[in-house]
Amino acid sequence: MKLEETIRILYDAGVEFVVIGGAAMGLQGSAHLTRDIDFCYARTAKNMDRLAKALEPFHPVLRGAPPDLPFRFDAKTIGNGLNFTLTTDLGDLDFLGEVSGLGPFQDVLAASDMKSVGGVECRVLSLEGLIKSKIAVGRPRDLYVLPELRGLNEVKKKTGLD
Amino acid sequence: MLDLVTNPPPGSELAKAKESGVDLTLFISTLRRTPTERARSLSEGSRIFQIAKQTLLNER
Repeated sequence: MKLEETIRILYDAGVEFVVIGGAAMGLQGSAHLTRDIDFCYARTAKNMDRLAKALEPFHPVLRGAPPDLPFRFDAKTIGNGLNFTLTTDLGDLDFLGEVSGLGPFQDVLAASDMKSVGGVECRVLSLEGLIKSKIAVGRPRDLYVLPELRGLNEVKKKTGLD
Repeated sequence: MLDLVTNPPPGSELAKAKESGVDLTLFISTLRRTPTERARSLSEGSRIFQIAKQTLLNER
C-alpha cells in the first residue's frame, strides 16, 4: 500500500476523491492498520475519465477475479458500475461511488476534512463521518472500531489536536 | 493529554473506549504526528503485514 503516492497521483490527475475507510481512520489518528486504501469518487463523466487515466499506468485488475477475465478500468466501465475493488501496482485500492450511512460523493465530501498529505491538500472522511458509516455498515469489524473512533473524536475535541 | 488518556473522565467516550480494551496512550503518539507521517506509518505497517503474511505462507 502506497498511500502518500496514490493520493499524489490522483491529485495530480485532477481526480475528485475523498479518502475513506481504514486509511481515513489512520490519517485521522487511529492506530488501526489497513491493507487497502478506500476512496469515494465523484461520478461525473470528467472525473471517471480522469480516474481511469490516472490508474491506467498501474495496471488495475479486479481483485480476486480470474486472471483471464477480460477487464478494462476505463470511464465506460466505471460509469456502468459503482464500487470497484482493485489490485494495482500501487496496492489494493477500492473506489466507491457512495458510502453507507452517508450517501453519494457530495454527501461524503460534506462530511470530510482537509488534510495535507505529502504536500497535497486532500479530503479525508471526518471522524463523525467514519462513525456514521461504520454504524450503517454494521459488520462486527466495523462496530469493533467504534469505541476507538469515539474516544479519538473526544480527545481531539478536548485537546484541540488534529 | 496524558492525564486525559490515563484517567479518562467516568462516563466519557474515552472511558468507554478504555473499558473495551483500546490502548488510549497510542493517541499520544498518533496525534503528535502530521497526516503525512501518519500516511507513511500506515504504508509501513501494511508493508510489514504483507511480509509477515508471505513468511507464514512460505512456511506452510
